[in-house]
Amino acid sequence: MITLEQKPFEEIEKMTKGCGRLLVLGCETCAAMSLAGGKKEAEVLAAAIRVARKMSGDKSEVLYDAVARQCEPEFIDMTEKEVAQCDAVLSLACGAGVQLLAERFPDKVILPGCNTTFLGVTERLGVWSERCAGCGNCILDKTAGLCPIARCSKQLLNGPCGGSVDGKCEISKEVDCVWQLIIDRLTKLNRLEMLEEIFPVKDWSPAGHGGPRKMVREDLES
Amino acid sequence: MNDMTSPDHDRPPCTMACPILTDGREYIQLIAERKFEKAYAAIRGLNPLPRVCGRICTHPCEGACKRGQVDEPIAIAALKRFASDGPWRGRCKALQPAEPTGHKVAVIGSGPAGLAAAHDLALLGHHVTVFEALPVLGGMLRLGVPAYRLPKDVVDEEIEAICDLGVVMKTGVRIGEAMKLKDLFDQQYGAVFVAVGAHQERKLDIAGADAFEGVVSAISFLQRSNSGQNPKVGRQVAVIGGGNTAVDSARSALRWGADAVRILYRRSRDEMPAAPEEIEEAVAEGVHLSVLTSPVEVLGEDGKVTALRCMENRLGQPDANGRRSPDPMAGSEFVLDVDMVIAAIGQAPESSFFAQELELDQRSHRIVVNEAGATVCPGVFAGGDAVTGPATVIQAIAAGKERACAIDLYLKKKWHPVPGPARSDERERLSSAIIEKTRKFERAKKICLPMDRRLKGFEEVEAVLTEDRAISEALRCLHCFLGAKIDKDKCVSCLTCLRVCPLQIPRASKMGEITIDPFECQACGMCALECPVQAIDIDLHPRGDIDREMTAAMSRSAHPDPLMVGFFDLHGDFGPSDKERLRQEHPNILPVMVFGLRRIDTVDILKAFEWGAQVVFLAGCPVEKDPFPETREAVKQRMARTKTLLNALGLDGERLALCHMPKQGLVDKAFIEDLEERVKEMAPNPMGVKRG
Amino acid sequence: MKAGSNLERILESGQFAVTAECGPPKGPAPTVIRRKGDLLKFCCDALNVTDNQTAIVRMSSMSGCVLLKEVGVEPVLQMVVRDRNRLALQGDLIGAAALGIRNVLCLSGDHQRFGNHPTAKGVYDIDSIQFLQMVKNMRDEHQFINGEEFSGDTPFFIGAAANPFADPFVFRVTRLAKKVKAGADFIQTQGIFDMAKFVEWMTMVKDRGLDEKTHILAGLIPIKSVGMARYMRNNVSGLSVPKAIVDRMGDAKDPKEEGVRICLETIEQLKEVDGIHGVHIMAVAWEDIVPRIVEEAGLMPRPIV
Repeated sequence: MITLEQKPFEEIEKMTKGCGRLLVLGCETCAAMSLAGGKKEAEVLAAAIRVARKMSGDKSEVLYDAVARQCEPEFIDMTEKEVAQCDAVLSLACGAGVQLLAERFPDKVILPGCNTTFLGVTERLGVWSERCAGCGNCILDKTAGLCPIARCSKQLLNGPCGGSVDGKCEISKEVDCVWQLIIDRLTKLNRLEMLEEIFPVKDWSPAGHGGPRKMVREDLES
Repeated sequence: MNDMTSPDHDRPPCTMACPILTDGREYIQLIAERKFEKAYAAIRGLNPLPRVCGRICTHPCEGACKRGQVDEPIAIAALKRFASDGPWRGRCKALQPAEPTGHKVAVIGSGPAGLAAAHDLALLGHHVTVFEALPVLGGMLRLGVPAYRLPKDVVDEEIEAICDLGVVMKTGVRIGEAMKLKDLFDQQYGAVFVAVGAHQERKLDIAGADAFEGVVSAISFLQRSNSGQNPKVGRQVAVIGGGNTAVDSARSALRWGADAVRILYRRSRDEMPAAPEEIEEAVAEGVHLSVLTSPVEVLGEDGKVTALRCMENRLGQPDANGRRSPDPMAGSEFVLDVDMVIAAIGQAPESSFFAQELELDQRSHRIVVNEAGATVCPGVFAGGDAVTGPATVIQAIAAGKERACAIDLYLKKKWHPVPGPARSDERERLSSAIIEKTRKFERAKKICLPMDRRLKGFEEVEAVLTEDRAISEALRCLHCFLGAKIDKDKCVSCLTCLRVCPLQIPRASKMGEITIDPFECQACGMCALECPVQAIDIDLHPRGDIDREMTAAMSRSAHPDPLMVGFFDLHGDFGPSDKERLRQEHPNILPVMVFGLRRIDTVDILKAFEWGAQVVFLAGCPVEKDPFPETREAVKQRMARTKTLLNALGLDGERLALCHMPKQGLVDKAFIEDLEERVKEMAPNPMGVKRG
Repeated sequence: MKAGSNLERILESGQFAVTAECGPPKGPAPTVIRRKGDLLKFCCDALNVTDNQTAIVRMSSMSGCVLLKEVGVEPVLQMVVRDRNRLALQGDLIGAAALGIRNVLCLSGDHQRFGNHPTAKGVYDIDSIQFLQMVKNMRDEHQFINGEEFSGDTPFFIGAAANPFADPFVFRVTRLAKKVKAGADFIQTQGIFDMAKFVEWMTMVKDRGLDEKTHILAGLIPIKSVGMARYMRNNVSGLSVPKAIVDRMGDAKDPKEEGVRICLETIEQLKEVDGIHGVHIMAVAWEDIVPRIVEEAGLMPRPIV
């Protein structure tokens, strides 16, 4: 899933200050699963903004709601009436959702309440970690199912670098050295010889370095 | 697994086990929340004899109680008695009968079945007259059950309450003799309910049983004893039988001064039909038990009983009912010296008066009725022991209530039989994992009269639970079917519920469908609060409950500065008097009672500050009283996050404090004083209402 | 000869090489480089100029190399893939060739998180092994990494780093083999304190015959104080400093003297290790000590080939 974290309240308060009637709009898929922007977080945040406004004498209202996914125009359109009654929307969706909201409501102030962090997995309650960098050209078949693009600090394709110690990355003892993991796994699978080959340089164009990405399924495109 | 299509899917085992479908959870929870008056009202709404049932009900609910699978069942009957005995029962508004219907109903017999029917029929607006053959009201409640188990003023009070509904009681009138059933119809009675009980005792059928003075039947013995007449007990008393009547007779005989009382029962102790706790008390009081023993002959001299010839049995093959038959052992004969024999070997209805008008079972003399309790005579219904043979008080009440319903329908010409709810004895079992994870709490100990005082008379043996014991006991309830409910339309399968549940109850399917077993769930509320899409709510204190309670509390009274909102965990050891003391000593504290601090959300705390609180504190129960101690860390984390938010708001996170309740009481004085000091050093909450 | 550099000539003639590190200043003063060049020119065969070492911004390696050349010292151009993508790297390589730089050391570089710009975006377009391949391909095939040909020569003696002390230990030799295959003419290792482990590594290197395909220069780090020893032991990942070394430094009356002694003992031991073709002295902020070490190790005078 796409992981998100709520922005610090100070930042949210600053960006929502004086923007009038505000709708805090949760997104019930990735943002909710990241425990950062579902309806529950929207409720708490709306309450906090309301308190902040009350303290500063700002009487404008703060509402909250949520939709299933802010990355789908159909869901966004369902908020039309609510949004029409507001001056600004604080979206708790990922960057994609915020932008689609902005696209659909050109005359409203649209603000982001969350930072989109990465594509990752839930390790356990309250802990997520990155697994995919969305590079557009998956190589997991060659790296034992562990991605060095997303998980090696230097994105080495011929790792590990000289900073790998005790299975940890040189940048932090909290970070696993993915190359150690790749080697361990290939050893277990008896396929370590795969790494004797030099991995060729990567084509980064599908990773976004070839400009903003777009995907079209010609057989379905309407 | 629970079948969600069954209409009983949300009925807890205690309810399903109760003949009148009493929802124990309701009043148990009200006791846990110190709302005793409401608890009584909840009981009284369904049960016309709550104080009786609190004492002598055989509480099948406890046998079914889910807690019993974990440690020991909730003491449901004792809690019922606690709620019904307290002084608050007088403050409880009496039930109001419906508009009079103009129908007259005769109830024959004033035992529990008759009283229950009279009560319900009166509430339905019918004019009810109870005809009692004996000079006193109450049937077996008065004459069968000894006062040390059921004081007679309790029976009086409950009957009086029924009279207050407009029910007319006529004692000394035996219907069937001078006045026949048909005569009642002539007197404009629209329907009759026959609930004459089973007062006819089975005779001891052994040699010499009729030959000597000193052989008596238990019913007549108890009737004398319970009406205060000395039944003249012997010194060595043998009671024959293993039911409650036998045990009552034995314990009564001790109280009348017998030197030694022995119960003879033909099977083993495990098979005795009497309530195990009654047998226990009897043994504790000094009654001897001779099990696997049958009398074969009464021996006597000078017309007086002197001994019983007995035989020892061993248990043979199970009979049709699954009970193992007692087989006498050859050569095991022995003689027991006794000067009194009380035979308690079963009763049958005294139904001969109705032989011409009603159909009776030839063998058992029971009145024959159809599914709805109707007899062959139109308009005449029957129920209770007269139909079933000797049964429990709650079964009698159930019969009375069911017949009241049938009679009401009959009178309103909307006749159709009402089969009782289909119930299965199948009990849902908790998995061993859940049993292991469920925190164990000791069942409330009974408070009994000291042994030396018991045998001096008929003073009630068991006392009502003390307030603190009752509250602790009520807090043991595991809230069957009151737990988390998932709105599948909203659920996004995020698995948060699986991860926060301290008992690991929610389950997910491969396609992400989440199910929370409503029987297993103990309503801790963690998942409901943490669900990021608010797809889960909970029946026991749903989301938003705290907010509603706070709003109500705020609107009730003005609080002096500095306003402090205190959330108190109901699992703490405190009573209504502690609340009152808090109100007097700290009028600036607005107490909000919560069922576990884990239910408090950040929005609740923000709300308190919006209301103008200078300080908000959360007082958690002592850890040894917390049913979910593993959730305490989560509460701390949530509070830490709320503090960060308060700091970001410029409200100073120090305004939010978390504390433990003392072992007893609501909150430590020192903690409050410290908080008040802290407030003085802070800039006031700008949302606080300026007073004065 | 691939590049004809002094370093290459010495190694190819089978002589024991000495290189040292020359850290460029955190400012534009050319004198710093010149002074270090003058100090080390007679005791080393070539000087490595580091490339924003430990991700701290300094004078560029290329400029340092040019300044060294001006004072008559042969430079080794260190280049890291952290700060430059394939375009920048290739452009710089062409420039280096034009400026007469003949040695290049291809590195990944310390992660930017360690330096003075921890919020910088790391580039890591290609990795160090691909970098080696790229330089070799430019030199031998006159092709850019995209396959496009160019005219003119880029005669580089290509170096790579190896760390025998990082994990996973066994794979370190495989990775060295990959570097050799990719084009590493010489190897400069991480500083050696744990001789036992180094010898074990060298045995494996020899087993694969790698010492015959490349020139291995053993890394040395003279220690100035017990604090430095301790810091390296605890904080520098990929550096193995045995406790005995820390204790020796701690017990020493004159720690600097002890540091020199340790370094000299290490060189003596290394001379006994088969397959070592030289040493590379990394005297960070203590370049002054290098002439003495080289002298006392019996490696003076430096040969002229």
